[in-house]
Formats: sequence, structure tokens, C-alpha cells
Amino acid sequence: MSGNFLHRQPILRRPDGIGGALPALTLIALFFVVPVVALLLRSVTEPVPGLQNYAILFGEGTYARVFFNTFLVATVVTAVTAIVAFPVAWMLAIMPPALGSIVFGIIILSMWTNLLTRTYAWMVLLQRTGVINRTLMDIGLISEPLPLINNLTGVTIGMVYIMLPFMILPLVGTLRAIDPMTLRAAALCGASPFDAFRRILLPLSLPGIAAGGLMVFVMSLGYFVTPTLLGGTSNMMLAAMIAQMIQSLLNWGLGSAAAFILLLVTMALYALQLRLVGAKRMTGGI
Amino acid sequence: MKLILTGILAALLAATAARADEMVFTSWGGTTQEAQTKSWAAPFEANSGIKVLQDGPTDYGKLKAMVEGGSVAWDVVDVEMDFAIKAAKDGLLEPIDFNVVPKADLDPRFTTEHAVGSFYYSFVLAWNKGAVSGEPTGWADMFDLTKFPGKRTFYKWSAPGVIEIALLADGVPADKLYPLDLDRAFKKLDTIKSEIVWWDSGAQSQQLIASGEAAFGQLWNGRVFALEQDGADVGASWKQNMTAADVLVIPKGSKNKASAMKFLATATSAKSQAMFAEASGYAPINTAAKAEMPADVVKSLPDAYVDGQINLDMNYWAENRDKIAERWYAWQAK
Repeated sequence: MSGNFLHRQPILRRPDGIGGALPALTLIALFFVVPVVALLLRSVTEPVPGLQNYAILFGEGTYARVFFNTFLVATVVTAVTAIVAFPVAWMLAIMPPALGSIVFGIIILSMWTNLLTRTYAWMVLLQRTGVINRTLMDIGLISEPLPLINNLTGVTIGMVYIMLPFMILPLVGTLRAIDPMTLRAAALCGASPFDAFRRILLPLSLPGIAAGGLMVFVMSLGYFVTPTLLGGTSNMMLAAMIAQMIQSLLNWGLGSAAAFILLLVTMALYALQLRLVGAKRMTGGI
Repeated sequence: MKLILTGILAALLAATAARADEMVFTSWGGTTQEAQTKSWAAPFEANSGIKVLQDGPTDYGKLKAMVEGGSVAWDVVDVEMDFAIKAAKDGLLEPIDFNVVPKADLDPRFTTEHAVGSFYYSFVLAWNKGAVSGEPTGWADMFDLTKFPGKRTFYKWSAPGVIEIALLADGVPADKLYPLDLDRAFKKLDTIKSEIVWWDSGAQSQQLIASGEAAFGQLWNGRVFALEQDGADVGASWKQNMTAADVLVIPKGSKNKASAMKFLATATSAKSQAMFAEASGYAPINTAAKAEMPADVVKSLPDAYVDGQINLDMNYWAENRDKIAERWYAWQAK
């Protein structure tokens, strides 16, 4: 019977789906799962079996400071990115599609440009003898160069710039789904534009902000290149510390433990996101 | 599991491993490796018929991964001497076969059972003449913010040099530097910490000084030499210049050990060392090399500034490397 036949089709198809996914799954198993397990083992076996690496990481002020720095930078970057991205996303959501796709293209293009190149460009702009400071001094606005690099300011500027697309894209999706009539209704009921934003638009766009915000936050946690080049040693983040442990101190046990903690935090945040936003929105909503 | 990870890592790294008539030389890139290629690899290839593949930059983590994973892709590696002493102790290096590598003329300061000298250099005080008023005359001036305001640049990694500079500036006599008084050194460094810009590669140190981004700093003499050659407006003080060395090592398990030994013989020969010194501004580790060099090059090398010169104590550093590094990075992160 036809009903039965239709019913059976997805069951028949399923094995094919798995077969097609095999190469990717094998890649992930070989080059992600296996190394991660090895990493975990290393963190509890080197130099001797036990949890001493974790005790050191949680017990010493230096590492606590690095953890704090990492979360501070990620939080600041996420907040600034959200504030800067929102107007852009709103503009994209209400723009005529033809124009919107051009702006979209520009944003995507910036994502495809080499990260290192873009970070070096910021170095040239931000340093004491850089374009920004030179210009400001030439027109007499400042007499001493502003400290824009080798500190939190430099890291924030460079990272917000890189993270913007990751906030804008999910946000546009959410904002597009909001019925513009709700805003008009708010206006008709006497709400000021700010009230309409605060009480209608902002709450409705929260899932997009949460999705983008978490993506930016998680990416920021593990960032290496930009903080290293634009930050100072007192803004050291976890990724740079791990590199130092692995490359120059050759303390792989400690490095592995730090990397594993970073992974755990990331996964915990992802789980939180799934609960808050829902898996469907996360994977299909963007 | 540990073996699996290192195995995978090593297998990936070994993708660059050399064939039998080839070997891989790894160094720090930039002008230094170019000079090594020209002065050592080229004549070696011509004489032996063994092709020398260049790789880099040197990465101690990679070196360790290769040796532990049993898949060594590098045959000769240029490393810092304190690392070499430590790595030999950890069993990461092959002993040098001095039947193949003639030892007689090698500077004994830079020769060990597991390493031969690559070149040696001095840390000198260099400055951008446009960015500094007056002339700094010694390390103490780097700590004098009233007389010499502005950013100063130091080597970022935990390595022989900066600690010693701080102690000298604080009045410790040169012959009383070791064992290093870390508390005193960090206290002295605290006084200028906010004005320090760290450099982590030779090229960056040049860029910082040449642009005036940092007014002055602690630089490798070869990098200052290159700046001067390029016509940059820089000054240098050799007072209490500090020597340290790079050495050449063969990672344990190198597949082209025989070729690697022969390469070391060529690289440390008087002629190759002279060529390299002329190209790089770094000093030869072969005592017979000076006779092969033009007089004006000899004059520009650390050898010409032995008065007051300080030999950084590589054995002390090898012994205390981890302990100092821990404090160093903790202090930096503060």
C-alpha cells in the first residue's frame, strides 16, 4: 500500500545517510576524539600519575590570573561585539534584499581575509608611531601617543573586528523573523522608539544575541593570534599560556590539563546554550 | 594513548622527512637562516651530493614530539645553548661523533658531547637616534626613566640576558651575577615594567627600534648590524655586552645521522664559519675562522669587544631553566 511504502522510505534511506557521513566521522574520530582522549590522559599521567597538574592550575595565582584574563577579554569582546553588531544586523534585516546582499558580501569577505594579515594591519594602525596616533598628534588633538596596543584596548579592538560577522549573521536571522508589525503596533500604542526597542525588539531578538554571543564568547576563549600580537604580557590568555607550556617549557602535562579545562568550559557553555536557546534554533536558526 | 598522540603528531611532521640522499636543516628563519643556507648548506651540497632541505622555525615542542614519537624529520637543528644542555640531559639528542666533526679548532665554550657551536652573539644596547636624546652609555640607562623616557624593548622569552641586565643595572658586579638573585632582578624590572615592549623575534626587535616604536632596547648584535647595513639611524653600546650561543644538535633517532654529522663538520669548519660571520654579523665558533675574514668584519664582531664582555652562564641556566621560566612568566603575566 502506498501509505506503507511512504512510511518505509526513510527507514530504507537511513543506512545510506550514515555511509555518506563516514568519511567526515572518521576524520573527526581520528583527528579530534583520539587526540582529545590522549590529551586528557597526558594531563593526568605526566610527569607522574595523578591530578597534580590540575591542582597546580587551580592553586597558583599566576594561572588564576590567566583564567581571569581569558574570561575578562571574552566577556568584554562579546559585549562590545553585540553592541556594535546590533545596528548592522537590524539594518541588514530591514534593507531591500538586493542592497542587503551586497553588505552581506562585504561582511563575509572580511571573514575570508587572512586573520594574521588583518591583525598585523591593526598593529600598524594602533602602535605608538602608527597611523592613528600620528594623525591625532598631527592635528593637535593629543600631544602624547595614546596607549592603544599591548593592552586590553588593543585586544578588544582587534577581536571585536574579527568577531563581528559571527554576531551579525545569527542576529540577522532572528531579526528577520520578527514581524515588523509588532513595532508598528507598539508605536501606535504610544511607545517611544526607545521603548519599542527596549520592550519589543530587544526581547524578541534575545535568541539571536544569545546564539551569536555564545559563539563569540567561546571563540574568544581560545583565541591566540590576536591577543598575542595586540595584547601585552599582562593580558595573557589561556591559549597563549598553553602554547608557552607546550613549546617553551615542554611541560606537556600542565599544557594538556589547561587545554582540557578550556575544552570543558567550552562544552559546558555549549550545553548551556542548548538549554537556553534550544538545539533547533542553534543549528537551524542561523 | 600518549604514544598514539605523539605517533600521529610525529607522522604528520615526518611528512617532510628526507630521502636517503637528503637531510633536513632547521633553524630560526629570516636573515640568519638565509646566511646559514648560503654559507653552510650550499658548499655542503656541492661537496657531498647530499641535498639539504630547509625547515623552520625551530620549535622545541615539535623536537620533543618527534623524538618521543620515534619519527624524526629534522636531522640538524639550530637551538639555544641552554636548551641543548637540558635536552641532552633529557635524552633528546644524539651524541656528536667527533671522529667526523673535527674538534681541534672549535671554541670549547660552545662545544659539548651533544652539541657543537652554530654561532655566538652578544646582547647589546641599541637605540634609535631620532627617538633618544643623548646617548645611553650602559644597561643602567635602560632603567632611568627620567633621563631616558620612552618605551624600551627586551627579549620576551625566559632566556639568559634580561635578568642579568637588571642585576647589572642594580649594581651587582659582573663577576657576582651567579647564582642569579631573582628577587632583586624582578624588583628592578618592576621599576620599568610599564614601559617595556617585548620582542619575540629578531625581526620584531629590528622593526621596533627602526620605527622608533621603542626608543631603545636589548638586541642581538647581528640584528643591529643588519639595521646599520640597511642605513637605519641606530646607535649601539657594547659596554658589558653579553655573549650567548646557538648550537647545532642532532635529534635522537635522526634517520640521516651520518649525513648530519658530515653537515656539522662543514658548518663548523673555519671557512663556512667565516662566510657565515661575514653575512650575519654573528661571531664564528671556530677559532681559526678569523684568519679567513676581512679585517673590517672581524672588527664588528663580539670578539672585538671582549673588554668588559660577560659570558652568560649556560650551565647555570640549563640547570635552573624551568625554575626561572616559571617565575619569569608569572611575573610577566602580573
